[in-house]
Amino acid sequence: MKLTFPLLLLLVVASQPATSATAPYREFDPMEDYLPHVKGDMSLSGSYKHWKDPANLDWRMAGSPDENWKLNWKFMDPPFNASVHGGHFAADRGEEIFHELNRKVGRFGKFAICLGARKGNLKGLRSQYPMYRKDLKRVAGLEEVIEHCAAKEGRELQNGSYDNSAVSVYVASQSTGMPIKINVTANGPLKAAYERGRKVFHARAGRINLACSSCHTYQIGLHLRGTVVTSPYGDVAHYPVYRTRYQLQSLHLRFVECNLATRTQPLKPGSQAYTDIEVFLTGLTNGYPVSVPSERD
Amino acid sequence: MRICTRFLCLFAFISTAWLSPSAFSSGFPTDFAVDPSVVNLTLEPKVVVNSGKLEWVPFSRDLTPWVSLSYADKRPAAKPRQVKLVEPLQGDPVRGRALAMARDKGYCIVCHQLPGEQWAGTVGALLLSFKKHKYPDELVFQQIFDSRVFNPISVMPPYGTFGILNEQEIRDLVAYLQSLD
Repeated sequence: MKLTFPLLLLLVVASQPATSATAPYREFDPMEDYLPHVKGDMSLSGSYKHWKDPANLDWRMAGSPDENWKLNWKFMDPPFNASVHGGHFAADRGEEIFHELNRKVGRFGKFAICLGARKGNLKGLRSQYPMYRKDLKRVAGLEEVIEHCAAKEGRELQNGSYDNSAVSVYVASQSTGMPIKINVTANGPLKAAYERGRKVFHARAGRINLACSSCHTYQIGLHLRGTVVTSPYGDVAHYPVYRTRYQLQSLHLRFVECNLATRTQPLKPGSQAYTDIEVFLTGLTNGYPVSVPSERD
Repeated sequence: MRICTRFLCLFAFISTAWLSPSAFSSGFPTDFAVDPSVVNLTLEPKVVVNSGKLEWVPFSRDLTPWVSLSYADKRPAAKPRQVKLVEPLQGDPVRGRALAMARDKGYCIVCHQLPGEQWAGTVGALLLSFKKHKYPDELVFQQIFDSRVFNPISVMPPYGTFGILNEQEIRDLVAYLQSLD
């Protein structure tokens, strides 16, 4: 039988369901052997040496677009940034909502206990997130848990909403200055999420076929038009962050912004892929102090 | 059409079959930020101050045809594709320059330095005085169409394979680059 073009086309189309059962073709950037601690940046971008000692920050670098990324934007964080900005208003709003939700049952507030605060004390809580939640049966970020715990108190605080992020800012602000400390090396759900996140970080996607790592591993410090590509180490300790364009932006909304900028279909906040990337980036941020409320341009 | 017509048509058809919304047999993955009732499908978030709800508004373009980071998205990505440029080039360097600056087309300037433009990117190779390299048109055409053929981990978007630029637009870009003294 002669294979005509229409027949060939028909054969290819008919064969598609058979191939869909196998793993789809995807591309990944080469995976670096990341150290899950901020000092791992020394073997990636090297910017760590400029900000590891906050007392010796070279403030002249803050004025140059080619240099300021090397300070990890510490000059816009507390206690270096003394200006009052939208992050502080969010912290006030978050405090208000937190106390409305935190009804006392016995000696401690129920909402705080639900968030995972030992004896209702928020100090140090932010530096332990994301964490595995038995009640959710998965690893979850702080904003997802805030949504979950608020719902138990009868209040809707959608992940990514202003009020949700405001509560997150307030809770995080109680840990400002305390180093991020999540264990992604011991076997368990957090390590599994870290490894998945590492893979997603290197997965090519979207209309222009880019992975997070395509820029944030191999192009750090270089220009993309007017912006300078940053290191993946240390950044997540600032979130949720006040940004002039976005009011208050949670980390997952930042991922949405990254996806949209690279023409990739965004996911909803709290999706597993975003949570896994959050775990991966938080693992890289181990040792970096929680820096909230902070602002970015 | 100057590239093998049948294979281009075949590829276009397969791409459509794989990458269209209908590739999801039971609707979009639940974690997609989409609204099937809006034209562009893709949504972007809008944070409303002092609200517990996150608003979503239509994004300026539909991003659902390309693979996403969702674990529920099992569509394959388009594989690297080698093409043969049939001479003559017949590209328009003026149109090529416009494409190199256009955000939704080439937008080469985001990574590459080009003459007469400030705030160029530094990620990509310098394209100033491109003509002096004397690269064959066919090589430049393939690099823009799908650079993964030369370098599997290239970060340059596969403009032809992913349908960002059509064949004539890539010819225009090649003509523009080859005109840079």
